[in-house]
Amino acid sequence: MTFVINILSLGIPFSVALLIASLGEMFNQRAGIFNLGCEGMMAMGAFLGMLVPYLVGQGSYVPGYYNYLGLLLALAVGALLGLVFGVVVVTFRAPQGIAGIGMQMFGVGTAGTLFRHFIGGTQSVPGINVAPIPLLSDIPVLGVLFFNHNPLVYVAFLMVPSAWYLLFKTPWGLKVRAVGTHPRAADSIGIDVNKVRFQALMVGGALAGLAGAYLSLCQAKMFSDGIIAGRGFIAVALVYFGHWHPVKIMGGALLFTLAQALQLAIQGLGIDFPYEFLVMLPYVMVIIVLAFSRKSQITGPAALGKPFNREIRA
Amino acid sequence: MKKFFITVLLISLAMSMTFAQGSQETETGDDDVVKIALIIENTIDDKGWCQAMHDGILLAQEQNPGEIEYSYSEKMKPVDAGSAVLQYAAEGYDVIIAHGAQYKNLITEMSEQYPEISFAFGTSSDIVADNVFSYMPQSEETGYLNGLIAGLITKNNNIGLVGPVDGGDAARYNRGFVLGVEKVNPDAEVHVAHTGSFSDFVKAAEVAQTQIKSGADVLTGSSQQALGALRAVADYPDEDIWWVGQDLAQLGIPEGYKVLSASSYNYAAVINTIVDYVNEGVLGGKNVPMNFNNDGFIFEFNETTKDMITSEIASEVEEALENFKGQASHPTVASWSSVEYNN
Repeated sequence: MTFVINILSLGIPFSVALLIASLGEMFNQRAGIFNLGCEGMMAMGAFLGMLVPYLVGQGSYVPGYYNYLGLLLALAVGALLGLVFGVVVVTFRAPQGIAGIGMQMFGVGTAGTLFRHFIGGTQSVPGINVAPIPLLSDIPVLGVLFFNHNPLVYVAFLMVPSAWYLLFKTPWGLKVRAVGTHPRAADSIGIDVNKVRFQALMVGGALAGLAGAYLSLCQAKMFSDGIIAGRGFIAVALVYFGHWHPVKIMGGALLFTLAQALQLAIQGLGIDFPYEFLVMLPYVMVIIVLAFSRKSQITGPAALGKPFNREIRA
Repeated sequence: MKKFFITVLLISLAMSMTFAQGSQETETGDDDVVKIALIIENTIDDKGWCQAMHDGILLAQEQNPGEIEYSYSEKMKPVDAGSAVLQYAAEGYDVIIAHGAQYKNLITEMSEQYPEISFAFGTSSDIVADNVFSYMPQSEETGYLNGLIAGLITKNNNIGLVGPVDGGDAARYNRGFVLGVEKVNPDAEVHVAHTGSFSDFVKAAEVAQTQIKSGADVLTGSSQQALGALRAVADYPDEDIWWVGQDLAQLGIPEGYKVLSASSYNYAAVINTIVDYVNEGVLGGKNVPMNFNNDGFIFEFNETTKDMITSEIASEVEEALENFKGQASHPTVASWSSVEYNN
């Protein structure tokens, strides 16, 4: 029983960076923009997120609000990068896949450059620690599982119903889905397609930045080149896995990280089994689920990846 | 529009390649000096693998004033490193060190192209050409010392080992560590888990968290990813959860208050040996070991946590250390390769 509780209680916080980044990517893709640059945006968020508390504290304790200032900076830079990406793929209608790769390289390279300039080598920060919720965290089993995490874990899981509400119950969400499904029809009823796509990209970018900051401020509590280590690409895959739906994306993120926690725990049990296969386990599970999903279920937004030009008939 | 896009892409490429450049550390201007070039996949200040070699070369320079000229290239993936090797070869470098077993194929290929230049790569025991040195830390020795400490410190008899991959000097360290624990505390269990990466310290932190949740009260790990695991240990400031490290740099960081001891590589021993060989006209074909006997390792207790070190721990470590320093190959850890832990 303790074994299972440990896996569940670790899998939940492990999933947060993927969950936040995937929700951001979902908004991008729902609006018809395929953003492979998520990794680069996360890298910038990770660096700038820890930069504020690092510069203020230089490794010693800093008041908590500096960490939250770092989070805000990460959100802002993510939104800014979303805006820049929008200029490239929405305004100039560049091929989204290639532009995404460019954004990924730009973000990772810039974060590394700034890191070397401002910090130099790998440094840690006190970061944001676990904040047990009074009373609730004392509940047996449930308290450990759900109410004994750092504040961003709670925020991330509250984002799931919020994203669902925003996407499916608000006029803005309807516009996002419309421009991602049939931009010409949306345009014909007066929706400014490019404006909505810019907005979705800024929301997605901000969430990618926040996801990166979660890694550097809450999970690793340090920054170094390569901190994202492909998690941005996994976030993109999880959007497909979750069929562009917030709840299913959450399920995908949890499945991935619970598998991760499980394989780490199995390694520690001393079972005679090659660890290389265990390390592969989370990735294999995602591939298997994707492979067995019905094709009709994984049909994405119809206009995904297609630039919109109102002057040209599709 | 196409031009604009291409410009953006080129700028992005330029930004991502910013580190992929060399830096001249020192230049003596003397023709008799040995010119050494270092190629590394990370940076010279990564508090781990690459920094250890960089520091070793700087120390060798101090020990041999005016005899070594040194340059380095950071962030070199094996596919990119070839161009750096060509550049160094054209500039007349005597020794080109590619620090990592991943460069083996590249070095083998280049050594055929430039038989008059001495190459080196490691960690590896392989001898691939007459003008290529390899170097291999016998890390079972450092692992053994840390294992002695961990075995005597643990109260739960539950020890976590955060490994990168089960190969090279990491595998030697891990198995030496297990031997050390078994020597002083046969009841203790060492739980080994690998991240599958030398640099993913987020994943190393996840491994450490998993092990701590499972009751581990002493943890260890090697390579630069281990820093993530140490950071996870530091998340328990008021609990008796400790770290025994494989890098002296870990003693001086904010998380250092959790570190009981650290053993570092002293690559100056390798550099000095290679320089001696080159001066004698031997360009390679040798494997240079690193151990306590040839000063290839440095071991230190952490002054900050010295209260934790009992007289029993100190005497066990001192005895082992004396034995290691006394002979190049020590029977205590000779059986390291036969140690089997979980996977």
